[in-house]
Amino acid sequence: MKRSVRCYVPWVIAICLSLALTGPGLGGVAYAKDKLVVWWNKGYYKEEDEGMQKVAAEFAKQNNVDVELTFTIQDDLGPKIISALIAHRVPDVAFCFFTDWQIAPKFAWEGQLADVSDLIKDLKPRYLESHLKTAWMYNKTAKKWSYYSVPIEAQALGSHYWKDMVQEAGFDPDPKKIPMTWNEYWGFWKKVQDSLRKKDPAKYGKVYGIGMTSSSRSTDTFYNFEQYLLAYHGEVLSPEGKVIASEAKNREAIIKTLTFFTSIYSEGYVPPDALTWTDADNNVNFANKTVVMTPNPSISIPGAQFFTNKDNYYNKIGSILQPTSPVDGKAYPYLVSVKPIIIPKDSKMQGLAKKFIKYVLEPKNFTAYVTASNGRWFPSFKDVAADPFFTNPKDPHVPVATDQHLNYPTRPFYYSYHPAYSQVYTENVWGKAMSRVVTEKWTNEKAADEAIDRIQTIFKGWK
Amino acid sequence: MSQTAPVSVAPAVVPHPERWGRKARLGIAFCSPLILIFLFLVIYPMLYEIYLGLDWDIYTSIFSDPIFIQTLWNTVIFVGLAVNIKMVLALTLSSLFSTDHRFTKILGGIFLLPWAIPSLPGILAFRWMLNGQWGIVNKILNDFGFEGYPWLVRRPTALAAAITYHIWKYLPFWTLIFVAGRRGIPKELYEAGDIDGTSPFQKFRYITFPMLRNLYLICILLSMVFTLGDFVIIKIMTGGAPGDSTHVLSTLAYRYTFQMGKIDWGVGTFLTALPVTLLFIFILIRKVK
Repeated sequence: MKRSVRCYVPWVIAICLSLALTGPGLGGVAYAKDKLVVWWNKGYYKEEDEGMQKVAAEFAKQNNVDVELTFTIQDDLGPKIISALIAHRVPDVAFCFFTDWQIAPKFAWEGQLADVSDLIKDLKPRYLESHLKTAWMYNKTAKKWSYYSVPIEAQALGSHYWKDMVQEAGFDPDPKKIPMTWNEYWGFWKKVQDSLRKKDPAKYGKVYGIGMTSSSRSTDTFYNFEQYLLAYHGEVLSPEGKVIASEAKNREAIIKTLTFFTSIYSEGYVPPDALTWTDADNNVNFANKTVVMTPNPSISIPGAQFFTNKDNYYNKIGSILQPTSPVDGKAYPYLVSVKPIIIPKDSKMQGLAKKFIKYVLEPKNFTAYVTASNGRWFPSFKDVAADPFFTNPKDPHVPVATDQHLNYPTRPFYYSYHPAYSQVYTENVWGKAMSRVVTEKWTNEKAADEAIDRIQTIFKGWK
Repeated sequence: MSQTAPVSVAPAVVPHPERWGRKARLGIAFCSPLILIFLFLVIYPMLYEIYLGLDWDIYTSIFSDPIFIQTLWNTVIFVGLAVNIKMVLALTLSSLFSTDHRFTKILGGIFLLPWAIPSLPGILAFRWMLNGQWGIVNKILNDFGFEGYPWLVRRPTALAAAITYHIWKYLPFWTLIFVAGRRGIPKELYEAGDIDGTSPFQKFRYITFPMLRNLYLICILLSMVFTLGDFVIIKIMTGGAPGDSTHVLSTLAYRYTFQMGKIDWGVGTFLTALPVTLLFIFILIRKVK
């Protein structure tokens, strides 16, 4: 006998009802644990990722929650977070090395980041002051200044050189013997190059004294330029976020800084391809010993050798800070690029996210994490920075960075003064200006004026 | 006179399939997943993109970017040169690979290799080869007593490098298409040409090219549409350097959208190329019909 479909309907309804009422274990919805979605920047060393995985697992266990932790490299994670914020489909916690300049200023301005003042209030006594300043941002929609990110670690510009090459050139490679006044410092690296090439043209004919990134596709260019602009006592923005680059004193400093960059390039002391380098290329050229010295905004260069070649790390590579100002021979503030964690405003788990961040930043947990980066990052917290790792006298590199962060004046980049500067940074106006002079034969004055005009135009668009 | 009453003749009943008959409905039902996907993933994003791009301020902003006009020119140069040089070469080489000689078959296999190599390592290899300081191209030049050249540091040579890579990478594919096209030309035409004593050039001019003309045009248009959206080559090879002088629309749109978070600018950048792309697609559809 053919049975009608209708006779199955009560059965189907009954099964559905029983599943809904009694089967949360099967359905897995009603009693599911809270889940925290965390997007984290993939570390340079596996120990960093392992450290974070351990902290996340402990947090999940202690709080009976799920933590979905994913690691992505910064070049992909930056666009991923931006896409998520635009689409309003966000993670609960995001940490990317590009957040400080590409993401936080703009999205805090647009009111898409959660206010984390309560969290900062608890952490405030532990913070290094210049690091915390970077989290104080303006929210255009709420019309208020507040803390919209949680700074955790930072980097500042140092320089690294091959001691054996300096010695080969006939100079004393001891870091204390490198001249640290402006003209003598740069002259020293030129002399090293000249001397090496003279000594063995076949071997050193293509070795350059200064690995200065000068490319529009590298953030290092911006870092180098703005650091040396401070050496020339130039300012682009006032502390209130107003463009003052066109003021005579600042314009002159910009032109002098640009002239410095384009001169060392044109004189042949910088590799020609530095005009197209990515952030990794000065590291690569240094590792290949095609440059003797390179300025770099972190100690990743010796750090990379730590796991592969201890002799290079401890004996052959030297780390030093920047030379004194060409204007008055004094020290000038170091720019710190401070890397923050953000909580998107659209996150449904803001409370749990704050709890997670607080747990990650507990001194014991965070010390383990940040030291796993082998000194690449300097912690934003005084108690973590007090760990003996950062002052180990046997280490030739990490204490140099510690000295820089703790004993010299430091200040944030301009995008902490006004979010429009994040666009200036992304457009890399200084890298473009260098290219104008070197490849298109513009004068330094004309290229500097174009860059200043562009900055002013960009700021007009941020109303 | 007898009159006959007008006879109304009923129109012949032609069996006409019911427009929304069972078969049609079934057909639509089977197609509906594809139609839904098409509506959701193609039509909706496109309409949304046009909606986002309706704000005139976007175009004021992107045209005020000093690199935008140069980027437009770079796109025209990149697409125009890369596609046309590649197609002329592909058409020429297809003649060689159409022969049945064993040697050309082996050569054909080797010739296809660039197409099989993933883009990223290929572009990086090109970039390293062209490095001014330690690249193999300059090394060879030096060995022959010539000065090296910073290939990727000058806009013309950097763009030329990207175009060269594009041709190297995609030439095998389009050559293969033309080989297939040539195989479709009846041999009798060439035999007739032989009887008439035509030269090889005359055979190409009067037989091969007329027979391949439509295919050639379709290939050009298709390749232009693909190349307009090509992002990877410029992004990896030059990254817009030196000084943002080698960006194309796709890399600039990426920067606006995913590095600056300005999705409207990114959309505006693509929309400036949309009329040209639509024109290509329109011609393409007419030709395919």
